[in-house]
Amino acid sequence: MQYLKQSYTAQCTLLCSLLLVLAWVSLFAWSAVPVTPTDALMALINMDDDKISHHIVWDIRVPRLLTGILVGASLATAGAIMQALTQNPLASPSVLGVKAGAALGMATVSTITPWLGLFSTSAAAMVGGGVAWLLVMLLGSAWKGGGEHGRLVLAGVAISALCAALTKAMVILAEDQASAVMAWLAGSLAGASWDVFYTLLPVTIISLFFAVLISPILNLFQLGEDNAQNLGVSLLWTKLGSSVLVLLLVGGSLAAVGSMGFIGLLIPHIARMLSGYDHRKFMPIAMLLGACLIIASDIISRSIIFPIETPAGALLALFGAPFFIYLVRKRTL
Amino acid sequence: MITPSRFFLFSTLLLVFLALTSLSFGAVSLSFLDVINGFFEDSEHYFTIHEYRLPRTLLAIVVGAMMALSGALVQGVIRNPLASPDVLGVSHGAGLAAVLYMTFLPDASTNWLPEVALVGGLLAAIVLWLLCGTSSSAIKLAITGVAMAALYGSAIDFVLLVKPLEVNNALLWLTGSLWGRGWPQLTSLLPWLLLIPLGLGLAKHLNLIDLGDDSAVCLGTKPNIIRLISLATAVGLTASCVAICGPIGFLGLIAPHLTRRLIGGRHQVLLPATLFVGALLLVIADLVARTINPPIELPAGLMTAIIGAPYFLWLLFSLR
Repeated sequence: MQYLKQSYTAQCTLLCSLLLVLAWVSLFAWSAVPVTPTDALMALINMDDDKISHHIVWDIRVPRLLTGILVGASLATAGAIMQALTQNPLASPSVLGVKAGAALGMATVSTITPWLGLFSTSAAAMVGGGVAWLLVMLLGSAWKGGGEHGRLVLAGVAISALCAALTKAMVILAEDQASAVMAWLAGSLAGASWDVFYTLLPVTIISLFFAVLISPILNLFQLGEDNAQNLGVSLLWTKLGSSVLVLLLVGGSLAAVGSMGFIGLLIPHIARMLSGYDHRKFMPIAMLLGACLIIASDIISRSIIFPIETPAGALLALFGAPFFIYLVRKRTL
Repeated sequence: MITPSRFFLFSTLLLVFLALTSLSFGAVSLSFLDVINGFFEDSEHYFTIHEYRLPRTLLAIVVGAMMALSGALVQGVIRNPLASPDVLGVSHGAGLAAVLYMTFLPDASTNWLPEVALVGGLLAAIVLWLLCGTSSSAIKLAITGVAMAALYGSAIDFVLLVKPLEVNNALLWLTGSLWGRGWPQLTSLLPWLLLIPLGLGLAKHLNLIDLGDDSAVCLGTKPNIIRLISLATAVGLTASCVAICGPIGFLGLIAPHLTRRLIGGRHQVLLPATLFVGALLLVIADLVARTINPPIELPAGLMTAIIGAPYFLWLLFSLR
């Protein structure tokens, strides 16, 4: 255990192997048509066109798994960046209203112009999330001094409530699109396909790469904004650049699978417990952990009332809220 | 600030006018004359007015008043401008209890819903008190309350997703809507109206508590008992409303604030006045929600959230 705390390589190896095991389980577990564990592997190595189980694995399960990995890594990274930027342990895409804003943007586009594809909806999600994020940051920068952290969170909650109400209103008013949008709002990996994966892949990989690149600057941010500036960090450009990264990551994953709560809040804290406060080390750990968590919750959400699927987002929200309360109680706000 | 007598005169007139407006608009628009005739059985609009719109409007008035009073009591006791039953998670706690009752005992009578919701609301209040104690800052209390509300909310979603067969019953009122409510719901709310005079009677003691505990004791009040009674009354008011309409967000938060800005903070005037403001707000919200794109209805809870959330932001902004 002590060794695990000290050795970064050991942590990464362990998480990678955990992710591999979870990925393998998610390929065969809880399938309406039985898929054996060996089938799951054989479909990857030596695809047999005649076997239904191979088709299930290759056409449904594998894209679902890969999309899940991307989404988990994106949300965890976005949460880590937001916590570093605001220096607020409670910051995350769902708490600060970015997710609700993005959902509002998406709902607007998909109810008004439903014929547009995935690209335009993710663009709308980014614009909506960006507006919410800008609003929260503007409000946050106006409050200096005591209680600032708590206020930022409450402002985010209020903006979330507003956006959620507007989203629901829009969904109800545009009846014909309602069921599709509602299913998407609940947040489930069930809709993932190769198309979704290939749309998501380039943006996510590039954003994740940049997130690792800017982690030294995020380290300096932990010293406080003034100190960071003295050390030669451009506050404006860092904030702008990392906000764009957050929006790309959150918008893309939202457009792909819908709302997955609390990964962005939860994972950075666990990653920090494992690997300390150095962002260069803890970004990759957070990505791996995020992927593991989302795959695990996807497996569990399939098993609860098999063969009906419970959205994984609902499950995550259920476990995320107590953790949030724990954080609020631990910190002196 | 306006004088109380003017306020009550003006708000009564406004309420009557809005109630009549709310009776005449909807999927079918009626003239005022038709509305008046609709109260009598031989009119062709008897069904629309008497069976559908009248109970709904009355319910909006009663529920709005009860939610507002509940918010005013909570704010008076906790002396926290951000407090209200929905911010503190009481509404959603009551909602969760009601959803659990409906999904796991589908055969049980819905007449017991208010009581079940009351138990849930009380439990939510106790949990919040255990988490925060008495000496928390305004912001910390509000954050914990919001987080508990989110927890109950996601638990409600989860139950509805796992038990999809009983979902219709629960969804009917979960959205914070007055849709489909009628005379039966109104009558089941009647006994709970007794809480309103009880709440109003606490006004003098709440004023004394405002002076600080020491002064309150000297002036012959028992602060802790008054707090307990007020909070229990507030929870009762909220829970009975939630059992009928579902959680209507932000109403209990904004109505008392608005009233305080209009006529000041003296509880003898504030508490009755907030009844009117709450009723007005909910009647307006329901009217807008119904007429924005008929025959599709928006839940009134959405309208109150759209008005209430920016107001909450403003409160946060102005809180020192």
